[in-house]
Amino acid sequence: MTARTTFLDDRVRASLQAVGAAAKRGLGDAGLAELVQVRASQLNHCAFCLDLHLGIAREQGVSERQLDLLTAWEEAGDVFDARERAALALTEAVTVLTEGFVPDAVYEEAARHFGADGLAHLLALIATINAWNRLMVTRRIPAGSTEW
Amino acid sequence: MTTTTEDTTTGAYAPEQPARLNWSEHAPEVYKAMLRLDTAARRGLDPKLYELVKIRASQLNHCAFCLDMHTKDALAAGESVERIVQLGAWEESRHFYTEKELAAIELTEAVTVLTDGFVPDAVYGRAAALFEEAELAQLVSAIAVINTWNRFGVTFRMAPGHYHPGQHG
Repeated sequence: MTARTTFLDDRVRASLQAVGAAAKRGLGDAGLAELVQVRASQLNHCAFCLDLHLGIAREQGVSERQLDLLTAWEEAGDVFDARERAALALTEAVTVLTEGFVPDAVYEEAARHFGADGLAHLLALIATINAWNRLMVTRRIPAGSTEW
Repeated sequence: MTTTTEDTTTGAYAPEQPARLNWSEHAPEVYKAMLRLDTAARRGLDPKLYELVKIRASQLNHCAFCLDMHTKDALAAGESVERIVQLGAWEESRHFYTEKELAAIELTEAVTVLTDGFVPDAVYGRAAALFEEAELAQLVSAIAVINTWNRFGVTFRMAPGHYHPGQHG
């Protein structure tokens, strides 16, 4: 499969990378950052993003068991701890935005685990991967492509 | 009559809900980077087309703060009230818009409602036929960026109604 286009303004690419880097720095949890980015990419069906972030997740030491069960995290018992579950619930609510808002219970559980600073950066990371998902799916960048 | 009834239909507006969090104060580096991203993504796009895209995505994502901002920015850019009003039913009011605007609005919907599917070849193809490559890349970038702002606005429940056109440069 070939890309529809690989064109993207360098300033857009660099500034979106800067948003993501600032978000990850503020969150300060590289493994969780990858779980969140993989889950959003599953919901948005972004093959390029899944390939990339599953690779980084493994490098960061996220377990195969967590990656295998990520699409069913709610039913996965104690494979994900309460903090991870709060982040994943927020990721889903924020990613599937056209179907509703972000429920108070989901927001409050995330705020309880992450605090105001952590939550602001976690949300920034979710919003950033949603932008990458859109840029890659729309241009149909193939998984593993070095041109994006 | 001895009973008193409280008038619940006085016509008073519901009280304004406070924001959940003033997020930019808690992630100032992210906010600064977002402003640079926004500037980068709007380069080369017609301001009226850009605002139509921002409004339509914000409607689909239910971002009240973003609708307040972008309808006001659209009016300030010379947009008409009726084209803004008709945007929610654009498929039935195509004669209010140019073919290029229609292609951009259709692409905005496909890219915004991504969890329901992909971006159909026909939708992408119509936009690609009317926008040259660099302009199309900016359009896709602008759609991705408003989707990002919408997520900040909705999640942190930023309050609409206080925006003044040009406030953010």
